[in-house]
Amino acid sequence: MKKEVPLAICFIVALIYIVSNYFTGVEFLATMKDLLDKWYLSVDAIVVAIGMVNLAQIHGRRVANKREGWLFSLWLMLCMFGMFFVSIFWFKGTTHVGWNFMYKMIISPMNATVYSTLVFYIGSAAYRSFRIRSMEAGILLVVAFIMMLGRVPLGAMLLGGNQAFATAADWLLRVPNSAGMRGIQIGAALGGIATALRIMLGIERGYLGGTGE
Amino acid sequence: MKIAAGYVFSFWFEAVFLATVIVMITRARKGMKIPEIYKVAGLDAMDEAIGRCTEMGRPVHFAPGIGDVQNAQTLAAMSILSYVAKQCAKYDTDLIDTNRNVIVYNMSEAIVKQAYIEAGKPDAFKPENVRWISNDQFAYATGVTGIMYREKPAANLLLGAFWAESLIFAEVGAAAGAIQIAGTANTAQIPFFVAACDYCLIGEELYAASAYLSREPVLLGSLVAQDWGKMGGVVLIVLGTLLVSVGSPFLKDLLAK
Repeated sequence: MKKEVPLAICFIVALIYIVSNYFTGVEFLATMKDLLDKWYLSVDAIVVAIGMVNLAQIHGRRVANKREGWLFSLWLMLCMFGMFFVSIFWFKGTTHVGWNFMYKMIISPMNATVYSTLVFYIGSAAYRSFRIRSMEAGILLVVAFIMMLGRVPLGAMLLGGNQAFATAADWLLRVPNSAGMRGIQIGAALGGIATALRIMLGIERGYLGGTGE
Repeated sequence: MKIAAGYVFSFWFEAVFLATVIVMITRARKGMKIPEIYKVAGLDAMDEAIGRCTEMGRPVHFAPGIGDVQNAQTLAAMSILSYVAKQCAKYDTDLIDTNRNVIVYNMSEAIVKQAYIEAGKPDAFKPENVRWISNDQFAYATGVTGIMYREKPAANLLLGAFWAESLIFAEVGAAAGAIQIAGTANTAQIPFFVAACDYCLIGEELYAASAYLSREPVLLGSLVAQDWGKMGGVVLIVLGTLLVSVGSPFLKDLLAK
């Protein structure tokens, strides 16, 4: 029963979703799909509490045992519970000026900072990939060189205003790149459908904690 | 009840594809011969990566991406996690599983725990090694970065739906000296994984992973159907190209129905 009930629920819910996405004119199915979507959002919100308990356990232990970096753990818990309690008991919603300040002046800039570090990671990844150790790496280097010069004014300037790099970069994107990407997308879409079917029919049970039949 | 406009061809294509999957699975169940599956280096290297961690006494890091449970890539990642957790339990190697989505985190915890039970080592399961970092994409990326630098896993398995954080994970993994196996069906992230990781599962290979690793004939049967579906796609592409070249919009109109 521990596996049969989840498998039956999975099959019925998947069927409702598939039929309601493809067919029109059945009010019951559309209502059921909306209801399931709302349930999902509710569950998603409730389980955040479980995640918070997990974080508190890990970092609480680190603080209690004064392990290396315990001050960071303390700071994390202060921020997490601080934002949680202040939002519930003081701000009481996302329209409060204090909540807006916390979000727009602290969380958003921090997000932007981490996102911007990508530029350095791109640089280091490019350095490792573009070292010509093989034929493939050599092709990658040449293509990247053309793409970069085609996308910045320097490319045209080096050729005295000639747009050859830009034209070549456009061609690379439109023809070989699109062809490769579409091939991958078709394969991935079919793989996704097959995986969904395996899960729906209860053939793949890895997500229940055990693979295969 | 009728098929929604614009979905008619898609419905019938998928119906034929699903029928093919069911036929292949039925054939496999009956013990009939299934064609050989081509070798996927990234999946063959999975045991090597876990073995490396065992030898070095360092943990394995597994990230199932940042997609939610409605994403097929996440579910495929969960199946791989089940395999990895069983291998880690077998060889007494620590497995650190980091999550962004809380529902995925709860699933991961149940899967890893079950794997340890199935391996006959329930006491070796460490709940603190299955971690929820944050619902926020870059807070999660920062948390994983910290874990990679502090706990220095010898294997970094990035399998699932990844977006902008993909390269951050792959680069910090490289900096930590981990052997890296990544896989995603998000086409924009595949080049980053190819460039920064030792092995990369491209697109559909991620979905094939659980079948490939488990070697279950029934699961392998569905992979054969996938290849047949791809062949169908190729036929449509060639046919469409020919028809458009001779000025016939027949297939184009059919696809739009």
